[in-house]
Amino acid sequence: MRIFRSQLRQELTVMARNGEQLLLLVVVPIVLLVFFSQTDFLTTDSENKIDFLMPSILSLAVMSTAMVSLGIATGFERSYGVLKRLGTTPLGTRRLVLAKVAAICVIEIAQLVLLIFVGQSLGWNPSRINLVQILVLLLIGTSCFAGIGLTLAGRLRAEINLAAQNGLYLALLLLGGIFVSNDELPKTLGDVAQVLPSSLLSSLLRSSFNNNELVMTDAIALCTWALTACALAVISFKWSD
Amino acid sequence: MSAKSCELRTVMVMNLSGRSNQVAISVRDLVVDYKQLRAVNNISFDAKAGEVTVVIGPNGAGKTSTMEVCSGVRTATSGTVSVLGLDPKKDRSKINSQIGVMLQDGGVYPSARVFEVAQHYCNLYGNRTTADELLEMVDLTRQKKTSWRKLSGGEKQRLSLALALAAKPRVAFLDEPTSGVDIFGRDLIRSIVRRLANDGCAVIMATHELDEAQRVADHVLMFQDGNLLANAPLTELRGSAGMNQTLEDIFRGLSSKATISRSREAQ
Repeated sequence: MRIFRSQLRQELTVMARNGEQLLLLVVVPIVLLVFFSQTDFLTTDSENKIDFLMPSILSLAVMSTAMVSLGIATGFERSYGVLKRLGTTPLGTRRLVLAKVAAICVIEIAQLVLLIFVGQSLGWNPSRINLVQILVLLLIGTSCFAGIGLTLAGRLRAEINLAAQNGLYLALLLLGGIFVSNDELPKTLGDVAQVLPSSLLSSLLRSSFNNNELVMTDAIALCTWALTACALAVISFKWSD
Repeated sequence: MSAKSCELRTVMVMNLSGRSNQVAISVRDLVVDYKQLRAVNNISFDAKAGEVTVVIGPNGAGKTSTMEVCSGVRTATSGTVSVLGLDPKKDRSKINSQIGVMLQDGGVYPSARVFEVAQHYCNLYGNRTTADELLEMVDLTRQKKTSWRKLSGGEKQRLSLALALAAKPRVAFLDEPTSGVDIFGRDLIRSIVRRLANDGCAVIMATHELDEAQRVADHVLMFQDGNLLANAPLTELRGSAGMNQTLEDIFRGLSSKATISRSREAQ
């Protein structure tokens, strides 16, 4: 337990010291939430923009933390030889992975709390949310995006990984029904977007935020993404170049 | 090998650990290939507890590959390696608590601070020593709050050595510990290495600086192109070559002999 705690502390300290990460994880989601809720750029037909935005921003936050932040940090750790060196200590793979997962959970919970707080101050009404469902979806979404992030980080050179993670983030964001509804995209693009994990997560979250029934096929599709991505990460991950 | 006989061998080694000169690392017929390239070509050697075994040879001779296989971070293409009676790959979790490893490229996150990293490594090994003690040993007490990124080359090497010492290791793998280090730092590192061996640790240290090797070695492994040119105690090596010969002279001699015999074979 002491070893795990020490590794978790190290993960969080390194992350907290990285200004770029904090920008991505905290500032960007909140700025987007405030900006889009106070302007008329969104073309959503939701009666209330903030109702549309809350699940969107939460999906975005999960993607930032579990995929981009974890993926980029792990890629650099691999190229700096940090993972290789830790591999010679009693830490062990299992505790390393658990510490990383725990670090992500800590950050996501902080993001969720902050989001709810800011959302409420912008007039969002939390009475209709299904919190248990949201937490379960966060867990599945996190495994999915962490799997994708680690698959890239485990194979690509650190600098290329950095570019790839950011590029993928942008693509999944635009095709994720997060700010632009998939119905408004050109037909083929919209069809593709429909099955991407970002779309699946944001639409499932949207249901949970409005206490609607989940679309089961979407939930199954997201679980399939999560399982595939995690399996791929486990199979292909290389600890050092 | 069965788990039981593996355990038995560990027990034997542990019982004998009070006495020096027991074999701590045993390598037989080791081969390491990288795609087309053969980095290590069928070598065998032993390294003993209480001794500094120095691995020398030019860049690309197979030193790091050999050390990495012994410390469990790389898989051998063929051959057997035993460290403290255990298999470095299969028994990794058992071995890792007993070895200290200093990699060639640090392996520390750039923004991590000196004390923080030292503390973390102490925790990883179950606090056998304290971060303060480690930093004092390598003379980094004043740099406690400095991040790894801002340390000089020599300071990085000293911190990296300190992290390996957090294990209070029975076997220490040090890859180029003195490269980029000034003369005071070298003296310090050399004295730490000596003390470590005197306490019964088997120290395996790679370097391409022969003067450094000569000052600290008990036993010498000379590598060239993945082959072992020499595997002998330093005194023996120097005795046979004449005491006023330096390791560098000896290496040049053996190296040219090996090259000549290989070109004859080719003909």
